[in-house]
Amino acid sequence: MQWQTIFKKELTEHWRSFKWIWVPIVFIIFAIMDPLTMYYFPIIMDTVGNVPEGATMDFPTPSVAEAMIMSFSQLGLLGVLIAVVVSMGLVSKEVKSGVYELVLSKPVSFTNYITAKYVAILMLIAFSLAASLLVSWYYVNILFGTISFIQIVVSILFFIVYFMMILGIVMLFNSFLKSQGLVAFLSIITVVALNVVSSIYSHVITWSPTLISDYINVYFYSGQLETEIWFSSVAAVAITVISLIIATITLKNKAID
Amino acid sequence: MTLMSVEQLTKTYQSTNVVDELTFSLEPGKCVALLGPNGAGKTTTLRMLAGFIKPTKGEIVFNEERFSRDVRHYVGYLPQYPVFHNWMSGEEFLTYVGQLAYLTKHEAKAKAAELLDLVNLSDAKKQRISKYSGGMKQRLGIAQALIHDPKLIILDEPVSSLDPIGRREVLNLIRELKKDATILFSTHILNDAEEVSEEILLMHKGKMIKQGAISDVSETQGTTSIHLSFGDEPKFIEERLKEIDSVFNVNREEDGFIVTVHDINIARSQLLDLIQQEEWELTRFEIGKTSLEDIFMKAVTE
Repeated sequence: MQWQTIFKKELTEHWRSFKWIWVPIVFIIFAIMDPLTMYYFPIIMDTVGNVPEGATMDFPTPSVAEAMIMSFSQLGLLGVLIAVVVSMGLVSKEVKSGVYELVLSKPVSFTNYITAKYVAILMLIAFSLAASLLVSWYYVNILFGTISFIQIVVSILFFIVYFMMILGIVMLFNSFLKSQGLVAFLSIITVVALNVVSSIYSHVITWSPTLISDYINVYFYSGQLETEIWFSSVAAVAITVISLIIATITLKNKAID
Repeated sequence: MTLMSVEQLTKTYQSTNVVDELTFSLEPGKCVALLGPNGAGKTTTLRMLAGFIKPTKGEIVFNEERFSRDVRHYVGYLPQYPVFHNWMSGEEFLTYVGQLAYLTKHEAKAKAAELLDLVNLSDAKKQRISKYSGGMKQRLGIAQALIHDPKLIILDEPVSSLDPIGRREVLNLIRELKKDATILFSTHILNDAEEVSEEILLMHKGKMIKQGAISDVSETQGTTSIHLSFGDEPKFIEERLKEIDSVFNVNREEDGFIVTVHDINIARSQLLDLIQQEEWELTRFEIGKTSLEDIFMKAVTE
């Protein structure tokens, strides 16, 4: 019951700060930007002009898979950034402003506090991802060719698992830092580091969660789901759970000063 | 019966004892003032009592067997600078914290309405908290501390940041609350403590330097002086006062007279009779006692 109270409060707060409106819109823009510009590139060049007479321009139209992957990789960069920005203050802002002291003077369980906030922001991000990728899928289907509905839904679900981990990491930094900026900075550094390490040793740590997007790309090309994507997902969930547990323990032991 | 007893409570930050071996107990139904200059360790003490920070050493026992759960179930706490979710209305916030304290939504709403009435915020209940004035926020802070009917109400400097009107409102509210709960509030303003509390705990540099009932601490034996002030000074007043047989001496002070008397009870009625009879414009009649300020200064400089 307490969990639902905090969860509902979080949803209301996100709603009143218009996050439920701008985050999906921004995600949709990121997702459709690249496929649309690629498709209309020749027309855009024609209209904007300034192409010297006689210059032949030959732009290969991307394949269906390539077009869809563009959306995913845009969200994999900018989407991650936005996800970090909207969640960087979830706990740290409340601790810094002092609301935390009032809220925690009630018998609030730290586990409820962390997980309710986490699930609320996850819902927002998952919704934004699903909405933006489905819109992009709609355009890709019209402009480039067909991708099955099952395939896009499965890809979106795995992609959400990847974002689950990112939000988990942000919650972890939230629990012991007061500065939102620092939370964002360290979260992004961590994700980048994970990505770099995983791509260097991609043949060894094939279960790395950051490889989920690579496996999704393969899925679009081949139509076959790699087995490794399951291991990566399990790893992502494991990192999420561990992050949330550590975040809870950190808050519990922290003295307000 | 003791509501809460504290034994050798100590909090150490970077090897200094911010709170140093406090031992005291709180009786139910009393209003206790925690006094001390800024930096005496009052806030740290209150935070430990409210269950926020762990003591380095010592024990806080909350009514032994009867309350064995998380102490926060029984304590209502108002921080020194309460901060709310400013995007909520006062009513929403109270309902929210009520539900956090395990009231059902229905109960929380009912209790919120009742408390908003008590702290005189019913008219502003739908307004966003960001629009509230300082005094309104302080009153909302008190209301949120009361939402789960706590056995002990801890208020950290509830009046220090308020203007005289807000201060008066909050003090009246504390007086009202005393009827049903135990209140522990910190302040560095001695008048406030004198006004509403029965007991004081006096802290200085983390240590408890004086504790006890306010009457025990503040009354000196054999008081023989009365301080009088008048709006418009009556003619020949000094002579008239000296004529009273219980009056021993009259001293003119900057703001009135200090009348030294033989027997305080006789002198009081004789003086008041005279003043009534002559219809003098009395503005102050104070039986001299050591004020908390004197005790405080004495204890601190000792």
